[in-house]
Amino acid sequence: MNRSIVILLGALVLCAALLGGSYAVSRRVCQSCMSKSVSDLDWLQQEFHLSGAEMARIQKLHEGYLPKCAEMCAKIAAKKSELETALGSSTNVSPVAQQKLAELAALRAQCQTQMLQHFTEVSQTMPPKQGRRYLAEMQRLTLGLHEQTESSMSESAGHEHHQQ
Amino acid sequence: MNKENINLEDAKLSTLLRAARTAPVLPPRFQEGVWRRIEEADAPGKSNGIAWLDALAALVLRPRLALATVTVLMIAGALLGVRDGSQMAHQDAQARYLAAVAPHSLR
Repeated sequence: MNRSIVILLGALVLCAALLGGSYAVSRRVCQSCMSKSVSDLDWLQQEFHLSGAEMARIQKLHEGYLPKCAEMCAKIAAKKSELETALGSSTNVSPVAQQKLAELAALRAQCQTQMLQHFTEVSQTMPPKQGRRYLAEMQRLTLGLHEQTESSMSESAGHEHHQQ
Repeated sequence: MNKENINLEDAKLSTLLRAARTAPVLPPRFQEGVWRRIEEADAPGKSNGIAWLDALAALVLRPRLALATVTVLMIAGALLGVRDGSQMAHQDAQARYLAAVAPHSLR
């Protein structure tokens, strides 16, 4: 009886190791093969099943948008640095720091507007159904995170905003 | 006369044979052992459980079945891995697109 139990337990362990091993190896191989030579826009083509012509238009829009995005990022980084300098020397929020905060917020809003404008333009190059789905997905991915953070913060602080 | 002689010899022979037959010596606690075996045979759950395990172990050790099990497990693992790997690659591609178009400071 003991021998039978040892054989059965050994077989179970071997089965689990085989299943787990083949799963891990194939997952890694598949992931590395599919991620190889992937461009920034490959996800769009996979997810929204776009044609070559649609992808070419999106590629053009994307290439036009990237320098503007980089420029805004550089401006935001510079403003953040100015804000840190203004905050660093004093123990309270000085008028200069307040002004830098306002300027940073304005820059972020400008950048966000530009980003949403780009998403709208990209969605208009797609067939209507895919375009609407793309726009909703991008808004969820880029703006939804803020809503989640704000909502979790207001819940934890115990001051939820209720509509009257 | 002749017949009577034969019967007489038969009787003598039978007596002789009966005397020559020796009764076997039983091993010690023979009766107790017999009862124990009867009781064990009457308790089907325990012996069946052991028999079931032994039968399963014997089945597991069959080369054909072992080979078939190994093949099925490896194919199942590979299929699951390919499914999850392609999902992860899809998520990586999405993250790459987002990183290109939406700066982290805005997300």
